[in-house]
Amino acid sequence: MAAREITIALSGNPNSGKTTIFNNLTGLHQHVGNYPGVTVEKKTGVVEYKGYRITVIDLPGTYSLTGYSQEEIIARNFVVNEKPDVVIDIVDSSNLERNLYLAIQLIELDTPLVLAFNMSDVAKKIGKIVDINLLSELLGLPVIETVGSRGVGKGEILEAAIDLAERGKRKKVEIKYGEEIENEIFNITSVLEREEIPTFNFSRRWVAVKLLEQDAEIINLIKKADVQKYKKIEDTVNSSISRITSILRDTPEVIIADARYGFIKGALLESYKEVEPAKLDRTERIDRILTNRVFGIPIFLLIMWLMFQLVFSLGKYPVGWLELGFEKLSGLVTNVVHHDLMRSLLVDGVIGGVGGVITFTPNIIMLFFAIAVLEDSGYMARAAFVMDRIMHKIGLHGKSFIPLVIGFGCTVPAYMGSRILENKQDRLVTMHINTFMSCGARLPVYVLFAGAFFPAMAGNVIFSIYLVGVLMAVIMAKVLRATRFRGESEPFVMELPAYRMPTIKGVLIHTWERVWEYIKKAGTVILAISILMWLLFTFPMIGDNYSQDYEAQFEENELLYQSGEITFDEYSSEKSNIEAKMAGESLAYSAAGRVGHFLEPVFRPLGFDWKMAVATVAGIAAKEVIVSTMGTLYSIEDTESQSDSLQTALNKNYTPLVGYNFMLFTLLYFPCLAAMAVFRKEAGTKEMLFQMGYTLLLAWTVSFLVFQVGRFFV
Amino acid sequence: MRRWGLGRRITGHRRLGEALRGHVPERRLFSMADAVPGKKYRVLRIHGGYRLNSRLCAMGFVPGEVFYVTGASRGGPRCVIIKGTKFAIGSGMAERIQVEEI
Repeated sequence: MAAREITIALSGNPNSGKTTIFNNLTGLHQHVGNYPGVTVEKKTGVVEYKGYRITVIDLPGTYSLTGYSQEEIIARNFVVNEKPDVVIDIVDSSNLERNLYLAIQLIELDTPLVLAFNMSDVAKKIGKIVDINLLSELLGLPVIETVGSRGVGKGEILEAAIDLAERGKRKKVEIKYGEEIENEIFNITSVLEREEIPTFNFSRRWVAVKLLEQDAEIINLIKKADVQKYKKIEDTVNSSISRITSILRDTPEVIIADARYGFIKGALLESYKEVEPAKLDRTERIDRILTNRVFGIPIFLLIMWLMFQLVFSLGKYPVGWLELGFEKLSGLVTNVVHHDLMRSLLVDGVIGGVGGVITFTPNIIMLFFAIAVLEDSGYMARAAFVMDRIMHKIGLHGKSFIPLVIGFGCTVPAYMGSRILENKQDRLVTMHINTFMSCGARLPVYVLFAGAFFPAMAGNVIFSIYLVGVLMAVIMAKVLRATRFRGESEPFVMELPAYRMPTIKGVLIHTWERVWEYIKKAGTVILAISILMWLLFTFPMIGDNYSQDYEAQFEENELLYQSGEITFDEYSSEKSNIEAKMAGESLAYSAAGRVGHFLEPVFRPLGFDWKMAVATVAGIAAKEVIVSTMGTLYSIEDTESQSDSLQTALNKNYTPLVGYNFMLFTLLYFPCLAAMAVFRKEAGTKEMLFQMGYTLLLAWTVSFLVFQVGRFFV
Repeated sequence: MRRWGLGRRITGHRRLGEALRGHVPERRLFSMADAVPGKKYRVLRIHGGYRLNSRLCAMGFVPGEVFYVTGASRGGPRCVIIKGTKFAIGSGMAERIQVEEI
């Protein structure tokens, strides 16, 4: 017998435990995607139950369906357009009145609804007793009790969903908004009917209510469909609104909200008892410390420091093991594959590129583990609260601080971490300035250059580069806020949920989702980019077009050694010297080298020569590559052990001003292609191109000014 | 909308919004931003646009509702408990919620 298919959607307030229920229902059979055209996550899962194949969709957590935010519109449109067989509204049992507000709006939409009173154990413990049979009767829909954290009620949810899907809705409940509002609803619906104005799968009554509430989404829909018809209804709605405002001395959206709460209060009057008054006892006590006026920020900074330590200090061990593993793999491939070009592609291109990204995985795992713990425990909201005043001054949200700190380690997880910002504008500005938080991959470049030009005070010079980065981030945040991302900033109202012990299952699932996405990225986009970069650095091949006859030099070296005129050490040093010269020439001959030469005029005003230009281009692949590229270009074979000689070479060829300027340029232009691939995934192609364009422009401008002005002083 | 909460009082922007809706407050009203910990207050009215009103109502900030303040930093957001849930609310937003002490 083929399984019957049922679709259920989970809705609920933020912090109602919806995600826990979703995880209970679907386990690891989840798929995370995005709703079309927006960056809101869409989680889907499948569960088999009693011969039914049930698809579960996790709708975004919202307080209402007013169309205030993207999430609300998505939830509303999904319920109306996709017509799931059943909607399960997850309700926090210890806070019924507030949570049922969303349920009322789902009832208004006439959805087949089941209420899951979650965390019912906590509610009972604090003396909140609800007669669910009576309430179910009053609301005309099934109500079940669940305890998400212990998996209680999973079967009941599925039973109720199947039952409702098979038998259809029991009865229709209509919410009345009071005489004045009802009169105007009647007026508006009759105009809607008479003028045959489209209502897009919604009922006329519902559209009338939304028009009174001045729901921007609905107004736009009608306008788009037919401007003439909208004008007709607009007059009716406006006079209705002014009648209501003058009689009831408040605007319709407030009166309607009040009526919804009134309906809830009425239903709860008989079915709900509070044995003792509600207290936010434990949460209140913890908050007195964590959000303390004096200690709040130090505690937050301490937690950030611990997180940073976890991600990077502890993470460096598994990262080291992975690096070793990839090294071994390279060695193995080198021995097995004999075709030169093929070997170079596999070792330098694929393993070098993809491996370089995969090695960061432990950092990513620990970062998202830490974020999941902070979020699930309820601390994240406090962090935003504590930091909001400071971040506000530069036009950012309190939570922006977290990805910015992570940016000092690696920009890739920092971009991903920006997801904790719900507001798109806040998220984008945070991502756009994150590149100035100097990541770990840039440090080797600073160490090389600072050591070459300012050996006595290398530490201070490097620190100054970091400071310039932070300063630039502050300036650019202000600039971006005042220009491209003006307006539409989220006014600050945020729930501070009760503290809760995070469940292991929940934290692990959240971590795994993010990490899997990262690994998938490494296997696809990063692989393609790595191969592309390899092609650019390998072709066209130099063949016999060397400027000197290196073969002859090799032979001469060989002869000298065999005749005993030079020692083995001298022989091998000369041999690697010749090899390095060849590598330098073939790099200069390759497409990347030519690009460097081609770009030289652009970099000239900054004091950079073609070698620096090539290194900058190579740095697009990953910033630490700049060091090895400079090494190759200056014909120093092993950059690790002979970094001294590279520093001597740099010192001979450039002035300290140019050296410092090059560090600045490295700091300011976008981090690397892996980061850009992630940026594109998070924010779209347009934003990624903007990021690349503006950071390059900024890097060039700053370096130009520093060099041109600095020339007169040094 | 500009970012709220830089400690400024009624702005031109806000006046404009209210003038369009027909109620300009004559003088500075006693708002949630003036509420202090340890006392009880009641919401009287929200001075915002349709979107803001709807949003605040959905979060439980409706006229007649009783709330109390548990913590605040000068010029920064404050914590209020309303309908059994704790919220952090920016001062710019709090200024738009007219309240009375009870």
